[in-house]
Amino acid sequence: MSENLPASPPAPVHSGDAGKEMNDGGVSGQDARASVARAFCPDPSLPQTAASPIGSDMPPSPAAGRRSFLRAAMWGGGIAGLGGLAGLAARRLAGGNATNTAAKSALGPEFTYDVARFQTSDPALLRYEESARFPVNLTPPRNLAVAADGTIFVCGTGGIRKFSSTGKPALTIALDQPVVSLALRPNGEILAGQAGKITVMDAAGAVVAVWSDFSAGMLPTSIALTKDWIFVADAGNRVVLKLDASGKQTGNIGARDPARNIRGFVVPSPYFCVRMAPDGLLRVANPGEHQIEAYTLNGDFEMAWGKGSFALAGFCGCCNPVSFDIFPDGSFVTCEKGLPRVKLYNSSGEFTGLVAGPEAFPEYLQAANAGTPDSLGSGIYSVIDPSGRVLVLDVIGGTVRIMQPKERKP
Amino acid sequence: MTDPSANRERRHPAEHSAVNEPHAPGRFPSGSPDSGLSLTRRELLKSGTRGLGLLGFGAATGFLAGRDRKADTLWQINPDRCIQCGRCATACVLEVSAVKCTHSHGMCGYCKLCTGYFEPEPINLDEGAENQLCPTGAIKREFIEDPYYEYSIINELCIGCGKCVKGCNMFGNGSLYLQINHDRCVNCNICAISLECPAQAFVQVPVGQPYLLRGKGTAGK
Repeated sequence: MSENLPASPPAPVHSGDAGKEMNDGGVSGQDARASVARAFCPDPSLPQTAASPIGSDMPPSPAAGRRSFLRAAMWGGGIAGLGGLAGLAARRLAGGNATNTAAKSALGPEFTYDVARFQTSDPALLRYEESARFPVNLTPPRNLAVAADGTIFVCGTGGIRKFSSTGKPALTIALDQPVVSLALRPNGEILAGQAGKITVMDAAGAVVAVWSDFSAGMLPTSIALTKDWIFVADAGNRVVLKLDASGKQTGNIGARDPARNIRGFVVPSPYFCVRMAPDGLLRVANPGEHQIEAYTLNGDFEMAWGKGSFALAGFCGCCNPVSFDIFPDGSFVTCEKGLPRVKLYNSSGEFTGLVAGPEAFPEYLQAANAGTPDSLGSGIYSVIDPSGRVLVLDVIGGTVRIMQPKERKP
Repeated sequence: MTDPSANRERRHPAEHSAVNEPHAPGRFPSGSPDSGLSLTRRELLKSGTRGLGLLGFGAATGFLAGRDRKADTLWQINPDRCIQCGRCATACVLEVSAVKCTHSHGMCGYCKLCTGYFEPEPINLDEGAENQLCPTGAIKREFIEDPYYEYSIINELCIGCGKCVKGCNMFGNGSLYLQINHDRCVNCNICAISLECPAQAFVQVPVGQPYLLRGKGTAGK
């Protein structure tokens, strides 16, 4: 309402006008600033003289004005500097947080990789329950084995650790080179698979022999023993090496040979498992084909089972299972990465239940969904101990989980 | 002498009288009574606002200084930090992002079932559009020999969303990953994507080493 406006509002004076006035021999710039102050602060108690700086009680001394200006500038600079330091610190802190998973892009759902529907399972399928877990203190752990007396051995970066069947630490064998696989001889000797070699140690960890006469790139990710032979799954060369008891290589199993109906192993990532089955045949995982294959000890292909599928009955992703073990009755426990799950199959390869579903491994799911580097190279390994328990090595959690049967196996 | 208790009074300036107050109307004593300095509420607010403004300006400058491209460097994505959030596709100043998927053929397993190429649980393991994961069809699949297939990125179609990278990282070995393609990147002083990247994956690399590659053999770039 115009009635509420001042009767004659003083016209603001712009700097350009002030300059013009000055050039015309009118009021000075200081007078102009004062008139601005009067225009916007018509309080008569405010200083009105052209000689006084606006809003200041200080006398119109040029030195005092400079001093106050410098003081204000120093204060301002200091505050801005503090702010700058705070900003840099904030960036440093933000830089350390590489796992902000709350980030959403403006892209539509068709641009989201969504496997959430496969990350849950029916609890009714669980045949085992976790009875205990213990830390292995290896960063990261890589594999495990169990002796006939139930003693548990875990290997990884840093060496080998021995635990009682209840998880009590018993021995640590420090090794410079990471150990990726283990096997235990009946005489107590430990076979430790390392890149390019197999180190043989006595029960106390003293090195007895080192076998290294292998092809370039040899990576022994799994070792199986018979009375006379040692079978080594070489993920680097995608074959199973057959060694005699002294470690001398006598042949290969599984090299591509269409004439013998052997299609070869497809091993895209360093997970390649071999086990000796109670029926006298070797079982070898062919992860790229999503199958477990059976071979005679001479390398003849016998049969295979398994299919690729994200559903529970199949092996998920590009290359699974990453490890497995065989019960005395010939049935299997298998481990998968990507969708972390430990499953049971009968001796014919039919899915019979779960040891642990994806929900049991929240750290794996979190890493996979967030796309953090933990999602790469984090397998799950399992062995069956003499009492029928399944020991599951949780690589991201750094623990061994002891899984007890909920009921007698069907 | 000024009454020191006046320091604690917070009356409205209008309540002060010029007659019985030693200070000018609307003014409160500041500092010691002998300092002769006084401050109105308006001045206090004005100064505070200015101070806060300066503080904020400094903080923003400091924060951005950490992202400012240094001389003789280029922006690049550290694949070990990337979380495939999808912002590379939308935050770039270019209409189609300079970020593209890169494929390290030296690492690739040439899988028949590539989780970077196929939808989870595809209907068939073939090149049908309904089976493909990439919404823009930017990955080419070619048969090599049973059971191996080669996968290549079609740069013209890739928008850098990272969907295939997530599939490869989750199940495979990480041979698919995102990189800024420097034949497209205009190398902004402050990369717009780096400001939005929640994983701080954008880093400055020397001009002589413009890519952060995984594995030995790399195609795409």
